[in-house]
Amino acid sequence: MPSAATENKANVPKKGIFNNTTGFSTLITVTVLSLAWLAGFASRLFAVIRFESIIHEFDPWFNYRSTAYMVQHGFYNFLNWFDERAWYPLGRIVGGTVYPGLMITSGTIHWILHTLNIPIHIRDICVFLAPVFSGLTAIATYLLTSELWSRGAGLFAACFIAIIPGYSSRSVAGSYDNEGIAIFALQFTYYLWLKSIKSGSIFWSICTALSYFYMVSAWGGYVFIINLIPLHVFVLLIMGRFSQRLFVSYSVFYIVGLLLSMQIPFVGFQPIRTSEHMAASGVFALLMAIGALKYLHSLNPKGQWKQLLILGGLVAAVTVFLAVVLLTYMGIIAPWSGRFYSLWDTGYAKIHIPIIASVSEHQPTTWSSFFFDLHVLVCTFPVGLWYCIKNVNDERVFVALYALSAVYFAGVMVRLMLTLTPVVCVLAGIAFSILLDLVLREDETPAPTQESDDKNLYDKAGKLKKRTPEPVGETGLGMNVRSGTLIAFMILLMLFSVHCTWATSNAYSSPSIVLASYGNDGSRKILDDFREAYGWLSQNTAEDARVMSWWDYGYQIAGMGNRTTLVDNNTWNNSHIALVGKAMASNETAAYNIMTMLDVDYVLVIFGGAIGYSGDDINKFIWMVRIAEGEHPKDIHEADYFTERGEYRIDSEASKTMLNSLMYKLSYYRYDSGGSPPGFDRTRGALPGLRGFKLTYLEEAYTTEHWLVRIYRVKKPDEFNRPRLPLAKRTIQTSNVMSKKLAVDIGHMTSKRRKGALKNKPILVKGKKVTKLD
Amino acid sequence: MSLEIESMVRYASPINPAVFPHLTMLLLGIGIFFTAWFFVYEVTSTKVSRHLFKELLLALVAALFSGFGILFLLLWVGIYV
Amino acid sequence: MLPAMAKIQFFAFILLYVASNCISVNVDNISSDVRIKNVDRSIDISSQLVKISSKITFENAGKVPVKQFLLAVEGAAKNNLAFIGARDSNNKDLRLVETTVKGHDNVKFYRVELKEPVNAAASVVITSDAVFSKALLPHPTAITQQEDQLVKYNSNLYFYTPYKVLTQKTTVVLNTKSVESFTKVKPFSQQDGNINYGPYSNIEPFTEKELSLHYKNNSPFLTVTRLERLIEVSHWGNIAIEEIIEIEHSGAKLKGPFSRYDYQQDHHSGPASVRSYKTLLPASASDVYYRDTNGNISTSNMKVKKDSVELDLRPRYPLFGGWRSHYTLGYNVPSYEYLYHSGNEYLLKMRAVDHVFDDMQIDELVTKIILPEGSTNIKINFPFAVTRLPDSLHYTYLDTKGRPVITFKKSNVVENHIQDFQLRYTFPRILMLQEPLLVVGFLYALFLCVIVYVRLDFSIHKPEHLKE
Repeated sequence: MPSAATENKANVPKKGIFNNTTGFSTLITVTVLSLAWLAGFASRLFAVIRFESIIHEFDPWFNYRSTAYMVQHGFYNFLNWFDERAWYPLGRIVGGTVYPGLMITSGTIHWILHTLNIPIHIRDICVFLAPVFSGLTAIATYLLTSELWSRGAGLFAACFIAIIPGYSSRSVAGSYDNEGIAIFALQFTYYLWLKSIKSGSIFWSICTALSYFYMVSAWGGYVFIINLIPLHVFVLLIMGRFSQRLFVSYSVFYIVGLLLSMQIPFVGFQPIRTSEHMAASGVFALLMAIGALKYLHSLNPKGQWKQLLILGGLVAAVTVFLAVVLLTYMGIIAPWSGRFYSLWDTGYAKIHIPIIASVSEHQPTTWSSFFFDLHVLVCTFPVGLWYCIKNVNDERVFVALYALSAVYFAGVMVRLMLTLTPVVCVLAGIAFSILLDLVLREDETPAPTQESDDKNLYDKAGKLKKRTPEPVGETGLGMNVRSGTLIAFMILLMLFSVHCTWATSNAYSSPSIVLASYGNDGSRKILDDFREAYGWLSQNTAEDARVMSWWDYGYQIAGMGNRTTLVDNNTWNNSHIALVGKAMASNETAAYNIMTMLDVDYVLVIFGGAIGYSGDDINKFIWMVRIAEGEHPKDIHEADYFTERGEYRIDSEASKTMLNSLMYKLSYYRYDSGGSPPGFDRTRGALPGLRGFKLTYLEEAYTTEHWLVRIYRVKKPDEFNRPRLPLAKRTIQTSNVMSKKLAVDIGHMTSKRRKGALKNKPILVKGKKVTKLD
Repeated sequence: MSLEIESMVRYASPINPAVFPHLTMLLLGIGIFFTAWFFVYEVTSTKVSRHLFKELLLALVAALFSGFGILFLLLWVGIYV
Repeated sequence: MLPAMAKIQFFAFILLYVASNCISVNVDNISSDVRIKNVDRSIDISSQLVKISSKITFENAGKVPVKQFLLAVEGAAKNNLAFIGARDSNNKDLRLVETTVKGHDNVKFYRVELKEPVNAAASVVITSDAVFSKALLPHPTAITQQEDQLVKYNSNLYFYTPYKVLTQKTTVVLNTKSVESFTKVKPFSQQDGNINYGPYSNIEPFTEKELSLHYKNNSPFLTVTRLERLIEVSHWGNIAIEEIIEIEHSGAKLKGPFSRYDYQQDHHSGPASVRSYKTLLPASASDVYYRDTNGNISTSNMKVKKDSVELDLRPRYPLFGGWRSHYTLGYNVPSYEYLYHSGNEYLLKMRAVDHVFDDMQIDELVTKIILPEGSTNIKINFPFAVTRLPDSLHYTYLDTKGRPVITFKKSNVVENHIQDFQLRYTFPRILMLQEPLLVVGFLYALFLCVIVYVRLDFSIHKPEHLKE
């Protein structure tokens, strides 16, 4: 029944240029898969066509930088790479804190191409790696689904995954990230696992372990595999589906996979020392115990083995569990990491790890994003799941578990939508295949319709829909229902592909380092401020200059600006980040102390007020405050940055601490551009509360054309000529007066310009008086 | 010494660059057709029904057309080999 | 206009490894028969270069016809000399040979070889052009964003020559009236941005007197610190040109902050900064790209004109004093513009360096010419003295043994160096088939692998065919 499509084709009368159905179906399969590859590749090129071949966003810049390093210096130097340009003054051991699979993959491609004298720049390889791998994912999904159900379902699933937004969101051209290749590795490992459990052959188990090794080297999400496969085995055991095949495949996979995974420096001894991996070893022990009992059973089949078997199994399970708990208490096994906890308790991150909670992709998923990412498949995949459970066998248990766990994780974090997408495609492929089977089954007597079944599969992939109302062989109601259903599904699938293209094009294809704005006449204007600033940094600052910025921009500064950063997107050191957050949240004097302590030469802030860019630092500022407060609760209080009514604002009603913070000052220093009243902040829709101030310890080094990136130079102690202590006092005291003045001014409705002029005078006069009194 | 510039003629491409796209389409189309034929033949034929000569001939034709097709594809996209 | 220049300077022949040294073995004497009747000199210092054009009337006061004269460059300026040339009254270029004179080791001499000798008591008019780079020094050396750039120029008030000069006049073109100070040796006059000196009469040979000017000069002070020009010839009808350019604002350094607010306030803000400049490409240039290591630089405009393609290049950021930038500019030109052939003999006639911006100065130029794979008998003629670097091989698409690369280097290059080189080579046409046949062979090998593969049986035991 599963491979109905293939089997039935034998009945089809010989037709076409090739007088053999095997050849014909192979040709169709190959054509559909290559078209799926092509469609998937093409739909991911929007960013390249609209902008250029460029690395996107944040993390890809680090991956690109390390790949370039590896290509230049060789693999072993890469493994030993100590990057002194990141996390100044700590540095970062890149080779040991990175999943090197991505770099190795593109490095290998680069090496092969260059051996063949094809001089493609490593950047282009990195840009196009993810789209190319999406084709491989489609093939892996095809294999997985055909293993589960039928080749027809496999083709459906391959076509779905090729274009589905949930996956293309992470694999558009330029999005050079681990996920791009990891989904392929994930699907392929699962395929091989099913293959090995089906055949019980050591060959396939070893292949599974190798593929698992690739996955481990590529993405931290390998934990999903090493928990899902044991879960599968465990459920099979509970269901009483123990078999020699299961025994062989799991024990071989577990041991080889374990040893291989420990070869990745970043993973190291984690597989035997952390709780995340303990399920696998527990299940392994359990399987061994049951295997032993079964063996004993086979020695004397007549005894009362059944009770012993159950009892023994339970005892083994409990022992293993207790052993793990005990070892955890003794500290040999590390307890669950915080990131892992946040998967079970969605509120955990918000309370304990603000740095995780501050990332938008770690938020819980909304229903709309389920639909946006999966479209019609989100409704149809339960059908496939139901069929899998209905006609259950060893493999289908797996896919059911896969689906259930992935749905849960996708619900917890937007980011994990990525793990749900493949299984949704698989199950929806099965559902669609069953449906078409059902609709066309009644036609079994007239032969040609069977052929149109294949045609349909083929047509959808190529997005040609011509032969739909073809099965006009019968009369009566049945035919109408059938063709009606067919047409409805065709329309559904068309809508699906339209939605996929639209979503990929509009939501996921922005490089985010190049912005485009559209004028009223439809003309496009490119805002290239990020690269302007990074280009400036790379050319016009000292080679070893240290740039302080919020961690979001660390990778970009290192990748494009080629300068030392204090913190970056590899958020491994929370206290260092908190220190930077504290500097940004403190007033200038306090910040200067932190900055001298950290040897900062330049400060970089993102300011979107002039063009209305909402992802700027002022909007992220509250997270800086929170993270700083987590480490320095004495100095930073979140409440100080809100108004008395608890609002977060930057206009004249903003709190004093807010107006005096370094971040505020660096953002609005001499800002007089933007909207109709000069100095209007378009992002917040307000006029900044403090204007016309001067900076004492920093000077503007560069501001980009649209004010998006502002770079300040930290002055050396000899560059500000006044004594430091009285000055610090002065600023604090005068700022009091100033804000009062300000309020009065607004009451009087004085013009903005004059307000600025008025503001400066009292500072000087009052300040002098104070010093004299001292 | 050698020839003077006056006695030489300007050098233009042996094939007009304007026809590169058409040549690519044509040659690559034929090439893919023969490649498909070749592979289908390989998959469907059994040890008994397989003729080495036909295979070699198909492969040669497919390689010739695809090879030149790829060359013109490269030239078309601007990689002047 | 320029190709004619190529003819006169054949002294820079093949394999000039240390061109200038080789030629300086020439020794000349200063002929006492020659006098200079009149010199009309114009010193243009309105841009970043110093362009001196002198109209010299030589007189043969002796008895025998004279066929050559000497031009001299004083020791202080000789290191800044980028280009020197001479023309006769018909605007025809004259041949110039670098030479030395005993007793004047610190002076650079050039021998002008006339086409026809000057008879006794006759005279001849010659125009000599000299371009000096980096002769204008910013003073003060650092300015703030809003200040004008002031530069100082020090030179010789009199025409520096080994001959006696009867009368001479000098016009200094400044194109500005704001002059801080200038040497005042009567007679002189200042009008419309020019300063006129002279006439001075009866100046002895090798007389030096300081001429010093301190004035406002906001013209772009841009130096290309390094330009690498790649010329890749393809016999499929294309020549690809790529220029990797490192550029620096070599004027007065920026002191203090850069304020975007001030810079946006009005258009005259940052008078000494460079917002954009124009590059002229050949008229047939197509597929132009302009990018740096971070990708495409989106701020540029292209205008196709009748005789050229004009690119308005804007660096990512305005260039202030001391700021640097780098970029890559590339384009394609059809081969029939520059490549000639006769049978298997080919001749490539192209510019050794092309226009980057007006009044450009290039510290170091490296030009690489990549010829098709299989080219032999490579001979090259340079229009001026260059240092030829060892040949190398370049591997790119579908190469087996590599393409020959000719490399040469020249420092201190200005616009007057935009001249053609001529490169001859032999290329058997049949080799063009090598590339497609390589692809065909590769594919055929793949097919053969498949043919072999289907004949192999990898299974350890007979498959059961019953697994499903």
